[in-house]
Amino acid sequence: MEARSTAPVAARELFQAHGAAVYRFVLVLLRHPQDAEDCVQETFLKLLRHLDAGGDATNLRGWLFTVAAHAARDRQRRRSRWMPWLPAHDGHAPAPELPDEDGRLKQARDALRQLPERDRLLLALRARGLSYRDIAGAAGIRPASVGRLLARAVDRWGAATGRRKDGNAYDVLERHPNPGAR
Amino acid sequence: MTCLNDIQIQALVDGEGTAEARQHAASCPACAARAHERTQQMTDLEAALDVPIAMPPRLEQRVEETFRFEADATGSERGATRLRTDAGGVWRGAPGLSLQAEGRRWAYSGVAVAAATLIAVLIVAPMMKGPTTVSAAEILAKSASQLAAAPAAGVEFLEYELVLDGVPREVMPDHANGAYRVKQIIDHTVQGRFRFASYDPAGLLLSSIAQDPATGRRVMAMRVDDRMYRFETTLPATLPISVPEIERLHMQASVAMMQASGNQRLQILDTPRGRQYRIDVPSVSAATPAAVWDLTEGHVIVDAADFHIVEFAVKGAFLKQAYSFSYRLLTHDVVDSASVAPDTFEVPLEPGTITLHGGEGSPVPAADAFVIALRELSKARQAR
Repeated sequence: MEARSTAPVAARELFQAHGAAVYRFVLVLLRHPQDAEDCVQETFLKLLRHLDAGGDATNLRGWLFTVAAHAARDRQRRRSRWMPWLPAHDGHAPAPELPDEDGRLKQARDALRQLPERDRLLLALRARGLSYRDIAGAAGIRPASVGRLLARAVDRWGAATGRRKDGNAYDVLERHPNPGAR
Repeated sequence: MTCLNDIQIQALVDGEGTAEARQHAASCPACAARAHERTQQMTDLEAALDVPIAMPPRLEQRVEETFRFEADATGSERGATRLRTDAGGVWRGAPGLSLQAEGRRWAYSGVAVAAATLIAVLIVAPMMKGPTTVSAAEILAKSASQLAAAPAAGVEFLEYELVLDGVPREVMPDHANGAYRVKQIIDHTVQGRFRFASYDPAGLLLSSIAQDPATGRRVMAMRVDDRMYRFETTLPATLPISVPEIERLHMQASVAMMQASGNQRLQILDTPRGRQYRIDVPSVSAATPAAVWDLTEGHVIVDAADFHIVEFAVKGAFLKQAYSFSYRLLTHDVVDSASVAPDTFEVPLEPGTITLHGGEGSPVPAADAFVIALRELSKARQAR
């Protein structure tokens, strides 16, 4: 009974502490403010229920981003299912420009948008400091695969930004998986 | 140890590297340089992902309302709130409202019944005045009472997204699980005149049905193995209950079943698109094992401006088979009949379509198509 009475307080505290970060996280994934808001609301409602049910509270930050990632992925897939019937009737507004998008950051974010959905998700989760185990849970992949997939995602992002420093022609798929075996 | 590969470097930078890898990087200038480079790259990545955008105040308000609403609903917190939950009872399974299979068979085509089942939806009382305070029960009650009243005239255009999962074949025989886009055109001036069409996510027409009492024709078309098959019949002398009418019945039944739950939850959402009401019927178990159709969970979102339903999703069981569907309204217009092009109620004829004629149709279009196809098969075999 005690857990039930304290869950809303704990949920509010967690929202104050992490709500903005979760919002930015899903906004980067979705680039759709309304969907991002829906995701945040859904995430913290689930958090409240999780706490109310006496769920594991050892890593609630990771839990929040995991749930938010799932919510964003669901919306992303739902949104991508449809081609506009008639553009004039399509209610989706174009993705807004973010306020700090100067040349460098814009290039970096444009590169992110070119990546496959899973790459974006992995990078966003990693950038939020989630452990490989939490990333695996959020992305629905095996923990043992996180490092490999993350490394490739970073490589693809680096290639998309054109910021490789070795000067060589870049082909992620053709790179040897173990170039250091020398 | 050999030099680290990219995966090991990544793990090292992410703090997930092994002790052996850390030791190697500490002693290998090449790997240390690569780790440094990767660290810089991750720093840049984090900067790119750290969008300096503030959370909208309305979102904070939404979440706060969600907390209050949930707390009220579970009794874990008390306090004033704009959100209400009706006291009380548990889901009663709405035994009086469960559909009985032995009655009217769900016989229309997938498109028709998909629409019928789901569209459970649309016309919640444009004339309903917006109250300053409302409850879920009030909204549902007024919705239910308005559902029986179709627009008196005009042509209604609806477009919506439809996602099906586990829907029994008895209900939607030609629709697999998945996502569809559905377009409906209903003429409220000419009874029984309508056209429905479903499309795949890429915009490809999957199936359509149209009938027009003015011409006495009914056309049903479906795509099988990338080819459209078109079944044309005349309308039966006595028009059966129309698909739009079935829709309304289903809509009424769905809303009534939600009403039957004593545990609806109402949430007021202030969105950029205006105020909306969200009514949830939480997951519960039906108390009537013999029920043919049960809704175990559902929600509906109603636009507070004109009370039309913009989203509707349910989970439940039909003939004891779990199913779910969700509906999201994309567009809804009612226009004057005179402004509608004559071919609006025609099923478009694609090149390569095989057209089969079946004489007078029955009250069951899907059965007509089946019978017509068998007759054609018989003719083909006899011609050999």
